[in-house]
Amino acid sequence: MTDTTARDADLRPVDPATGKPLGPMETPGYYPRYHTLDQQKFWDAKTREVILDRVNNVPPIRFFTPEQARLLEAVCARVLPQDDRDDAHKIPIVPQIDKRLYEDKGDGYRYEDMPPDREAFILGLQAIEQMAQERFGRGFLDLRTRAQEELLKALHDAEPWGAHDIWERMPVHRFFMLLVKDCAENYYAHPYAWDEIGFGGPAYPRAYMRLERGQPEPWEVHERRYEWEPPNASLSGEYESVAGQEEQYGSPGQGGTH
Amino acid sequence: MSSPLFGKFRSPDGKPHMLGAMQTLDVPMHRYADGEEVDYAIVGTGAGGGVLAQRLARAGFRVVTFDAGPFWDTERDWVSDEKGSHQLYWTNRRVTGGSHPLALGENNSGQGVGGSTVHWASFTPRLHPSDFHIHSLDGVGVDWPLDYADVRPYYELMELELPVSGPAYFPWGDPHGYPYGAHPMGGVGDALIRGCTALGIPVSAGGPVGILEGSRADRPHCIYRGFCIQGCKVGAKASTLITHVPDAIANGAEIRANCMVSRVALGSNRRVNGVFYFGPDGRELFQKAKAVVIAGYSIETPRLLLNSACDGFENGLANSSDTVGRYLMAQAGNVVLGRFDQPVRMYKAPPAHALTEEFYETDPKRDFARGFAIQTVGPLPISFAKQMMSAKGAWGWGLRRLLMDYNHWASFGLLGEILPHAENRVQLADEKDQFGLPVAKVTFNLGDNDKKLIDFGKNKVMEVMHAAGAEEVVQEARYAHLVGAARMGNDPQTSVVDRFGRTHDIANLFICDGSIMPTQGSANPGLTVMSLAARIADYLIIQGNAIFASDKRDMQTSPIRYDLSPPDTWGHGMPRPVNHLVS
Repeated sequence: MTDTTARDADLRPVDPATGKPLGPMETPGYYPRYHTLDQQKFWDAKTREVILDRVNNVPPIRFFTPEQARLLEAVCARVLPQDDRDDAHKIPIVPQIDKRLYEDKGDGYRYEDMPPDREAFILGLQAIEQMAQERFGRGFLDLRTRAQEELLKALHDAEPWGAHDIWERMPVHRFFMLLVKDCAENYYAHPYAWDEIGFGGPAYPRAYMRLERGQPEPWEVHERRYEWEPPNASLSGEYESVAGQEEQYGSPGQGGTH
Repeated sequence: MSSPLFGKFRSPDGKPHMLGAMQTLDVPMHRYADGEEVDYAIVGTGAGGGVLAQRLARAGFRVVTFDAGPFWDTERDWVSDEKGSHQLYWTNRRVTGGSHPLALGENNSGQGVGGSTVHWASFTPRLHPSDFHIHSLDGVGVDWPLDYADVRPYYELMELELPVSGPAYFPWGDPHGYPYGAHPMGGVGDALIRGCTALGIPVSAGGPVGILEGSRADRPHCIYRGFCIQGCKVGAKASTLITHVPDAIANGAEIRANCMVSRVALGSNRRVNGVFYFGPDGRELFQKAKAVVIAGYSIETPRLLLNSACDGFENGLANSSDTVGRYLMAQAGNVVLGRFDQPVRMYKAPPAHALTEEFYETDPKRDFARGFAIQTVGPLPISFAKQMMSAKGAWGWGLRRLLMDYNHWASFGLLGEILPHAENRVQLADEKDQFGLPVAKVTFNLGDNDKKLIDFGKNKVMEVMHAAGAEEVVQEARYAHLVGAARMGNDPQTSVVDRFGRTHDIANLFICDGSIMPTQGSANPGLTVMSLAARIADYLIIQGNAIFASDKRDMQTSPIRYDLSPPDTWGHGMPRPVNHLVS
């Protein structure tokens, strides 16, 4: 079995000057001591209710089996790694995905070549497990981080080495986008992530007033950048366009912005 | 008319029903009794249905308007939060396919009173005069059965009713100005102005956008919080929920929220006589009506017609032409993102606040017909993360690192004209929704002209982003603003409705939304949909009982009515003479 201590150290991002791992910390990112939640008394009541519920109430697992939930935890830990965050400030992702699927809530459409989201997640987890067994002779949970990332990168690159029967029923690039989308939707919905990226968060009824030149509001903070590199063993720091995206009119993105 | 008056808009806690920070809805709403026949049953409360219901009610017609979603109280229901605003979008099942499948959901129809105007960014440019004749001018698409001159007075009126903020002089298409002043620039607008100016491209700063830059009546000015497409809690952004629906109710219209219309009923003599709908408790009910208007957006409108197939209309109601569902259009909406050394903080200010239409018209030097606009967009973090996933293939630590630079990015949107194609269409899928109704299947493919236009347009937007000083520029393919799928035309063989929105097949069945647009130009469609709705209303009003009693089609255009606007339309804003108003 892998030595867990060494493995944890390997997982953290690195300060390139010293080669030492960064964190775990309360708030990664370039906005020291910035906490959107400190501003909650300036938010409207409904917004405060919705966001505090997100922070304080982690939904129970009801859709996935305990085994599936553990596997998805391990997958999401690589798709959207949080090893630089201390335990108190890790952002729950799998419980939110579970809630969405339990309630059978979707984005309002399904690609013709995709199964419904519930089935897509179950099939995708099966395929990941099959690919782990096929190449490494072990389950995904028992793989070292590097091997887990190799497997996920194969999905990212749309070059899976196994579970072809499943990928014939579900295009691998669509599943990978679904997976990353669900992770990102929940990570960047959380006030801890807003602190990390310096997003102002809710601003009603107070308003933003400093619109120009990227100036922070009086209650926001200036950026203080530092250098960091992904963990030495990680494959997700570098990336190329997802397969299926080469053609510029390929699969459309999903952000509704205009 | 002895029906009870109730439904005074109060929250359970006794607070008034809020439509924005200050505006309340405190008139009682008329409720028609079970079994009572109304003049008009309107399906949808958005840009088309909202404006139409308001005018018909003011003119004294008995109107019931349905919406599949809730009657929003903006304080009680809406949040300054991306994820928490999912309820504003039509998220019932749909299937999407074709060679370039459209992402649906948050990108198009709304669900709830106000429809998609609740979550539009509210860019409100007009179509250009050339848009009405692209087949004659460029040999592509199809001509409208209308001229720009038919719609112009309605554009002017809607720009006052919303109202629209923008520059005092807007140089493209039919040059005109706006009744409210332009908005200040946020970081993205700054970048667009900078990039365009560096390249010598004229650019419009601060509009046209249906967002108040100065307060008007009970609607406060914009507070630049950037959550426009999450529903404007401020009440600064126009939506029919706050601009037209309250006046519809004040004039006796009933808005029946949480009611999903399932079928338009055909009676005798090839005339419709009402709609079946699922009420809030899930029971199927019937509303008798002398005429029916469908205003459900370019997916639900054709879906409802197809789901209303019956004896005599086996391929869908009003579909003898086999055109219902066809010629569905979306605009090319590629998002171009640029990273700047200095912070931008693009979450501040409305996403919609600057644009250029310099490339809108056909240019013989290019190898494609028609053109595009370039507009500001301001994605919030979740949207930005999705754009980085699709533009750069980012995941894992790479995604985390990119998002840590969120405040350094600006984004522009291409808004390009995609031509109408018969095979781009809405059909019924095998699967059913929660009501047991077949869901819509949307098929979308790009043609050659579309691909060339997108190539050129995307590169031009990237050039502007570079010229603005971006050190890295990336882009993702995207589509926006569905229109078409029940197009208007003079020929009943090739179109669904005539130039007054009346279906060729059924004399008392009308369509009043973006579905009827034969082509789409490169302007965001909202203002055009509202203007067409006001024009259709004027026609219905002057026709009066003839609509209910006769199959005869009077094709005379009626004069515009300037006395049907909601309160506070007149006497505010800049003293801008409206063309046909000066007397």
